[in-house]
Amino acid sequence: MRMIELVDVSRSYGGLTKVAALSNINLTIGAGERVAVMGPSGSGKSTFLNLVCGLDQPTAGTILIDGVDIGILDDDSRTRLRRERIGMIFQTFNLLPTLTAIENVALPLRLNGMSRRVAEPRAVAMLKRVGLGGRLDHRPDQLSGGERQRMAIARALIFEPPLLLADEPTGNLDSQTGDEILDLLDQLHGELNMTILLVTHNEEAIRFCDRLVRLRDGRVVNDEKMERGR
Amino acid sequence: MIGALGQVTFQQWRAHRLRTLLTIIGISLGVAVLFAVRTANVTLLSSLTLTVEKLAGKATLQVVGDEGGFPESVCETVKDVPGVHVAQPVIEVLANTAFADEGTLLIVGVDMLGDRELREYQFDEEGSEIADPLVALAQPDSILVSRTFADKYDLEDGDKLPLYTSQGRREFVVRGIFKPEGIGKVFDGQIAVMDVFNAQYVFNRGRNIDRIDLMNEADVDVDQLAKRIRAAIPGGIEVTPPTARGEGIEKAVSAMRIGMLIASFIALLVGVFIIFNTFNIAVNQRWKEIGVLRAIGVERRNVQLMFLAESVMMGMIGSLLGIALGYLLAVGAERLMSEVAAKIFSYVATQQPPVFRWDYAITSFALGTVTSLIGAWLPSRAATNLDPALALHNIETRQREAVLGRGRLLLGLALIATGLLCVAFAPLRVSLDYQFVYPLLMLSGLILVLPKMAELVARILRPFLDRLFGTEAVLAVESMIQSPRRTTATVGALMIGLSFVFSTASYVQSYQRTVSQWMGRFINADLIISTSEMARSRTYHFSEELGRQIAAIPGIKRVENVRFLFMPYAEDSIAVVSFEMDGWFARVNDPIDVGDSNEARQQLLAGKGILASRNLTTRYGLSIGDTITLQTPTRPFQLPIVGIIDDYTSEKGSIFFDRKLYLDYWRDSSVDMIDVNLEDSLRQDPAGAVLVRDRIQQVLRGQHRAFIYTNTEYRKWVLDLIDGFFVINYMQTAVAVVIAALGIVNTLIISVTERRREIGVLRAVGGLRRQIGRMVLLEATIMAIVGVISGTLAGMMNTLFLVRTAASMVGGFTLPFHFPISLIIIALPLTILVSLLAAWWPARKAVNLNVVDAIGYE
Repeated sequence: MRMIELVDVSRSYGGLTKVAALSNINLTIGAGERVAVMGPSGSGKSTFLNLVCGLDQPTAGTILIDGVDIGILDDDSRTRLRRERIGMIFQTFNLLPTLTAIENVALPLRLNGMSRRVAEPRAVAMLKRVGLGGRLDHRPDQLSGGERQRMAIARALIFEPPLLLADEPTGNLDSQTGDEILDLLDQLHGELNMTILLVTHNEEAIRFCDRLVRLRDGRVVNDEKMERGR
Repeated sequence: MIGALGQVTFQQWRAHRLRTLLTIIGISLGVAVLFAVRTANVTLLSSLTLTVEKLAGKATLQVVGDEGGFPESVCETVKDVPGVHVAQPVIEVLANTAFADEGTLLIVGVDMLGDRELREYQFDEEGSEIADPLVALAQPDSILVSRTFADKYDLEDGDKLPLYTSQGRREFVVRGIFKPEGIGKVFDGQIAVMDVFNAQYVFNRGRNIDRIDLMNEADVDVDQLAKRIRAAIPGGIEVTPPTARGEGIEKAVSAMRIGMLIASFIALLVGVFIIFNTFNIAVNQRWKEIGVLRAIGVERRNVQLMFLAESVMMGMIGSLLGIALGYLLAVGAERLMSEVAAKIFSYVATQQPPVFRWDYAITSFALGTVTSLIGAWLPSRAATNLDPALALHNIETRQREAVLGRGRLLLGLALIATGLLCVAFAPLRVSLDYQFVYPLLMLSGLILVLPKMAELVARILRPFLDRLFGTEAVLAVESMIQSPRRTTATVGALMIGLSFVFSTASYVQSYQRTVSQWMGRFINADLIISTSEMARSRTYHFSEELGRQIAAIPGIKRVENVRFLFMPYAEDSIAVVSFEMDGWFARVNDPIDVGDSNEARQQLLAGKGILASRNLTTRYGLSIGDTITLQTPTRPFQLPIVGIIDDYTSEKGSIFFDRKLYLDYWRDSSVDMIDVNLEDSLRQDPAGAVLVRDRIQQVLRGQHRAFIYTNTEYRKWVLDLIDGFFVINYMQTAVAVVIAALGIVNTLIISVTERRREIGVLRAVGGLRRQIGRMVLLEATIMAIVGVISGTLAGMMNTLFLVRTAASMVGGFTLPFHFPISLIIIALPLTILVSLLAAWWPARKAVNLNVVDAIGYE
C-alpha cells in the first residue's frame, strides 16, 4: 500500500531567473516504510519535506498522500490532512514556549475542536509513552534538548498518524541523546507501524531506516534498500 | 561605529515601515494635541485682548466697574480731573438681531460728539448719503454697522435693522457703514455702534454706563493720572490701562484653559507607552541582531546609544509633524474655545490666524523628543544587558520575562495607597500644582502593578475563554502572560486613555447629579425665562417692564425678577444673586444648611443679612455673623451672613439677598432671569406649565429674545450646559484613546512578528488560517478587557481626586463620588470593537504568514 507518491514533482523559486529546488522527482514510499532522505546542503531535502507535508506546493507534478492528491486540496483541507494524518518533528523542536508539555501535545487535538477535558488525558498518555510522565506541567525552557524532542514526538503522534516526517530530529542533540530519540522512534514504529520519512545528515540515523534516498541538486541520485542495523 | 549602527537602524525602519509609521503617528498626535491646545489658548487670549484694544481705540486709561456698571455722573467727575484730555462713556452689549438667524451682534454705545477723538471710524463713503454718520447717531433710531455685517445681511444706508433689546424688538436705521478695519474688525465684523444714551435706554441700563475710555493730556503721566482719578471716583470702580483688562479676561476663562491643557498632556503621556512598547518589542525582535553586534565587538553603551538615537530620531520626526498638525488643529480648537468664551463668559474674540509661538514649538518639540527618549530608555537598557551568547541562541532558549518583582508590586501598592491617603486627608491649603502629584502617584502605582494585574485577569479569563473559544484563546492568553512588558505597555496606554475618559465623564456626571439635586431643592419656579441660551448674559438684560407684561398673562400667579452678576471680592470675584426672597421662602422647604432658619428668614426679608454659599465660606474661612463687604455704585454694601447653603451657582462662591437691597445699592433695575409661578389650578395640571409657556411665547414672539423653560426643561438645560462646557475635554480624551488604539495596532503587529515562528508552528501542526486570525483577535479582545478593568480602576482614582481635591480647590466644594457603571458597560464593547478594528490588519498579517519561512525564522 502506497503512503507517499510523487509523480514528476518539480519545485522552483524566483522570478525571471528561476532556481530549481527539485526537478522531476518520482518516488513511491509504502505504508510502514522507514525512509531516510540524505543529501548535501541545497540538495532539496527541506523542499521535499515541505512539499510532502503540504506546507509548500509543487510548481509541477502530483503528490499523493495516502491516496489523496494534496495539490487539489484547498488550504484548510491540506491543514486538516497535516493535522490528522501527518506528524512532524523538527531539528529545532518548534514547541510553543508559552505552553506546558500537556498543552503542547494536546494542541493538535484542541485545534481539531476537542475539549480540554478529552484532549489532555490523551496528551498525558502520549507523554507517558515517550517517557515524559514526570514532566507534564513543564514548559519547553524547563526541559533538556532530548526531553523537548520527546515532547515534539508526542505532539506529532497524538493523532497516531500513518505518516511521520522528521527533519533532522537528532541535529540539535548530543550523540547519546540522539540515539535515545532514534530508539524511541524505533519503539513507536513498532507499536504504531507508521511510515517514517527522516531527513538527516546523521549516518547513525540511516541505520534506523530500511531505505535510503539520496538527493543532489534537486534530483534523486540514489534510492536503495537498507538492512536495518539497530 | 555610529554611522554603521545608524545604517542598521535605518534598515530596521525600512524593514518595519508600518511599525515605524505608527510609532511616529503616535508621537505626532500627542504633540499635535498639546501644541494645538497651547496655540489655541494663546490665540484666544490674543483675540480677546485684540478686541479690548481695538475697542479702546486711542484710550490710555479705562474706568471700569463691575458687571452692573456705574452711574454716568462718574464720567463728569473723571472729565474734571486735571490731566484728562478726553473721557467718553461706553456701553457694550452682546445682542441679537431679529433677522431669521438671530445672529449675535456686539453693540457699542458711544457719545457721538466726542468719540471721534478716541476711535477712528473709517466710514465706507461709497453710496453713503450721510454727511457725518456720527452726528446722524443723534437720532434715536440710528445705528452704524460694519461693512462685514452689512454685506452679510445685505444692508445699505437707510435700511432697517431689527434688534432684540431689553425693551423688546426695536427697528434701527443704518446711518453709516464703517470699513472692516480698526474697530470694524472686532468680533469678526459683527459690530455696530449706537448712541450711548440710546443704548442706556434700549438695554435697560438706567443712568449707568459700563466704562469710561479716556486719554490723558500729552504732558501728564498716565500712572499719576490714574491715581488722581481713583481718588476722585467712588470705590469699587477700577482705573486701568486697556492692556491690563486682558489679564482680567484671562482670569475669567482660566478654568476652561487649564482644563484643556491638562487633557492635552494626557495624549502625550499615552504616547510614552507607545514608544516604550515599540522599543521594548524592537529590542525583543532584534535580540539576535543585538547578539551579533555584541559578538562582533559593539560595546554595551553603543548598543544603548543606537536605540536611544533611534528614539530621538522618531521623536523629532513625530514632533515636527505634530507641530505642523497642531497648528492646523489650533484653528478649530480656538474657534471652539472662542464660542465657549462668548457664550459662557460673554467675552468676544476678534478672529485672527493662530499665533505661532516659537517657544511653544520648541517646548513641544523638546517634550515630544524627551517623551520618546523616556519611552525608549528601559528597553534600550534591556538591550545592553543582553547576554550575547544567549541572544545568539534560538528563541526557545530565551528565559521567560520576569512578570513582576515583589519589590515593584509593593512599591506600586504603596504609591497607590499614598495617593489615596493624600486625596482623603491632605489639607486644601496645599497648592493645586502640588496636589496634582496625587493622581500621578496613583497612576504610577497602577502602572507598576499592571503586569501582575494583567496576568491575574488573563489567568482568571483563561478557563472561560478556553471553554468559549478553545485553544486559540489559551494561546492568546499565554502570549499576553508570557510577554508582560509588551502587554503592560499596550494595556497601560489603553488604561491611561480610558481612565481619563472615565474620570472626565464621571466627574461631569457627579457634578450634574449634585447640581440636579441642588436644583431640585432650590430651583422651584414653574417657568424660568432667561436672557441667553447660556445661563445668563453678562451684557444683555431684561427690564422689569417685561416681568410686568408676563405677570399679566392669564394663569400666572406671580413673577419674580432675578439679577445675577459677578462682583470683585478679595482679589477675585463672587456671584451676587438677588431676587424676591419672600416668594422663594414660601416655596422652598427649609433651605438653610447652616444657621437658624427662622432667624435667617426674618433677617433676609428685612434686608438685614445675606445668604452665603458653603464654598464661599470654606474658601474665605467665613461663618455665620461674618460680614461681606462689596463696593457698589452708591455706597459700600456691608451685611452679615445669616445663613449658609450648599450651592453650586458658581465655583467662585455666591451670595444671595433680597432684590430690594440690590435696587437700593446698585440703582440697577436690570433683570437676568424671570421666575414665573403659576396659579395653583395650573400647577396641579401636568400640562399647565407648557400651556402657560406657550402663552408667554405668543406674547414675546417677535418682540423679545427670551428663552422660556419649564422647571424640568430648565434643569435638563443646565445639565446639558455642563456637558457642553466639557466638550473639548471629551474630544481631547478621545484623541488619547485613538493614540491608545494605535498602540494596540502597533503591539499586535509586533506580537505577530515576534510570534512568527509560533504561528508558523501552529500552522504546521494543523492550525487553520481562521484559527490563527481568531487567536490574534482574541489577544486584542483580552487586552481590551484588561484595559477597561485597569482603566476603570485608574478612572475611579482620578475621579476621587477630581471630586474631592480638584473640586475643593477650584470650586470650594466636594462632590459625591459617582462612578457610573453604565459607562463601563458602554466602554467595554466599544473598546473591544476598537481593539478588534486595530487587530484586523495584524490578524491578516498572521493569517497570510508563509509557514515555511516562519518555521525557519529566527
